Amino acid sequence: MLKNITIGQFFPGNSLIHRLDPRTKLLLTLALIASVFLSKGFAGFLLVFLFVLACARSTKIGLKFLVRGLKPILYIVIITFLLNVFFQSDGKILVRWKFITITEGGLQRAAFLAARLILLVTVSQLLTLTTSAISLTDGLESLMRPLKKVRFPAHEIAMMMSIALRFIPTLMEEADKIMKAQMARGADFESGNLFRRAKAMVPLLVPLFVSAFRRADDLAMAMEARCYRGGEGRTRMKQLHFERIDLYAFLAVLLLIAGILVLNAVGVF
Amino acid sequence: MPIEIKHLTHVYMPGTPFETRALDDVSLTIHDGEFVGVIGHTGSGKSTLIAHMNALMRPEVGHVLVGGVDVGEKNQSLIEIRREVGLVFQYPEYQLFEETVEKDVAFGPQNLGLPEEKIAERVRDACAQVGLSEDLLGKSPFELSGGQKRRVAIAGVLAMKPSTLVLDEPVAGLDPAGREELLQLIQGIHQSGTTVVLVSHSMDDVARFCTRLIVMNKGRVAFDAPPREVFRHGSELREMGLDVPECARLCELLREKGMDLPEGIFRVQDCKRAILSALGEGSKC
Repeated sequence: MLKNITIGQFFPGNSLIHRLDPRTKLLLTLALIASVFLSKGFAGFLLVFLFVLACARSTKIGLKFLVRGLKPILYIVIITFLLNVFFQSDGKILVRWKFITITEGGLQRAAFLAARLILLVTVSQLLTLTTSAISLTDGLESLMRPLKKVRFPAHEIAMMMSIALRFIPTLMEEADKIMKAQMARGADFESGNLFRRAKAMVPLLVPLFVSAFRRADDLAMAMEARCYRGGEGRTRMKQLHFERIDLYAFLAVLLLIAGILVLNAVGVF
Repeated sequence: MPIEIKHLTHVYMPGTPFETRALDDVSLTIHDGEFVGVIGHTGSGKSTLIAHMNALMRPEVGHVLVGGVDVGEKNQSLIEIRREVGLVFQYPEYQLFEETVEKDVAFGPQNLGLPEEKIAERVRDACAQVGLSEDLLGKSPFELSGGQKRRVAIAGVLAMKPSTLVLDEPVAGLDPAGREELLQLIQGIHQSGTTVVLVSHSMDDVARFCTRLIVMNKGRVAFDAPPREVFRHGSELREMGLDVPECARLCELLREKGMDLPEGIFRVQDCKRAILSALGEGSKC
């Protein structure tokens, strides 16, 4: 029941996108997100969508996975859509029934925002599906390094992130195990009203917290035993290098953004 | 209540690169009063198999019948099945959560909806069964030693009064003395009339107590026979990453050296007797 979460899950592979430098992927994801916001209409979205689709095809990750990753935001998308349909009013009136009015402009706006949300999540999914947590945080640390000048703890934050990411599956597995153990003792997590269900979580959460603290303690000890002293003077096994494919990737995204700007300027929506 | 498993197959995460076939057409029956050992290498499907025994996993392909009731049937009362088949997980001490030992052991019976006095009685019985003294009842389970915590957790399952008790690696991570004590205790639970299924990867542990061994390999039942017969297949067991008990291995090696020892020895006492008699009266040391 807890195993079907795909957000933040890494999908091993050896495609072009998998081999890109994590810094490239991080920056390009930001650029793609910016391009989603730049687009003034569906034409721009279509461009971004085709681009993402092409990337997804090349990684050999099934579309099924991308779609499944959208499940958690499904309700947000639906709510956004409905709010906009009902409360935006401009353009031709399509339906008027009691206090509900649906206008052409509202419908368009709602579809636009829903599409934007879906695109944003899909783009960032492409990043997490093709980049392992370790290289992701390596990339982040390297990108944040200039901020060290203003005493920003870049290494510590990256380390904390990689530890947190590393432990998500472990804790999930642990939660699943404890849940099963309590179910074997007759615990019921699935029925009852909200209050009952919240109360039923106690036998799950207490052992989960206890074990999380125990793990944290063990990990701190293990790191100390191996002389971990923070980022100062620390070398790394995997050095990050920009390659030729990174250049191509930057060019491709640049072209995409240029295309969107042209569409905006010409006024095709 | 007998547990019948018929053509059970289970595949984890089908249709993804992580797809694994944990169980592959498994059929077996656990009869009343048996002491069954389930043994297999890591990833052989042991844990998936036992999770099906008390409906923590519903069969997707095949059937599981507990006391004649099909677990896979919709609207089947699961709590009824879980009361019949108690499941003690690996490292069960990590499931403890209450403020006191007493409250924690009472969690199961409470879920069954029993009246207060009945619960108190069951808690006392269960703690006595695992050898926990009364003065520990008021303590926090987090203050206890590792071995004591494990007993509290086992008591928590026993308090549901299951007719079958399934234990997944109950002695993992205990010191030799703690292992021995716990194994004796499990034997005691069996003798008091509970069917016991003991999952382990230690051949020596299962060899001593079990009347029947089920060897799992790659999701299939490789052997299902009394220990004596299973241990005849030493080379096959080694191929599966398992081995025969140390005594059986010793006898095997001595036989190769030409000592006249009978087959099918796997307990320390039998082994000692056999070797002494083989050495014969003439060479008494």
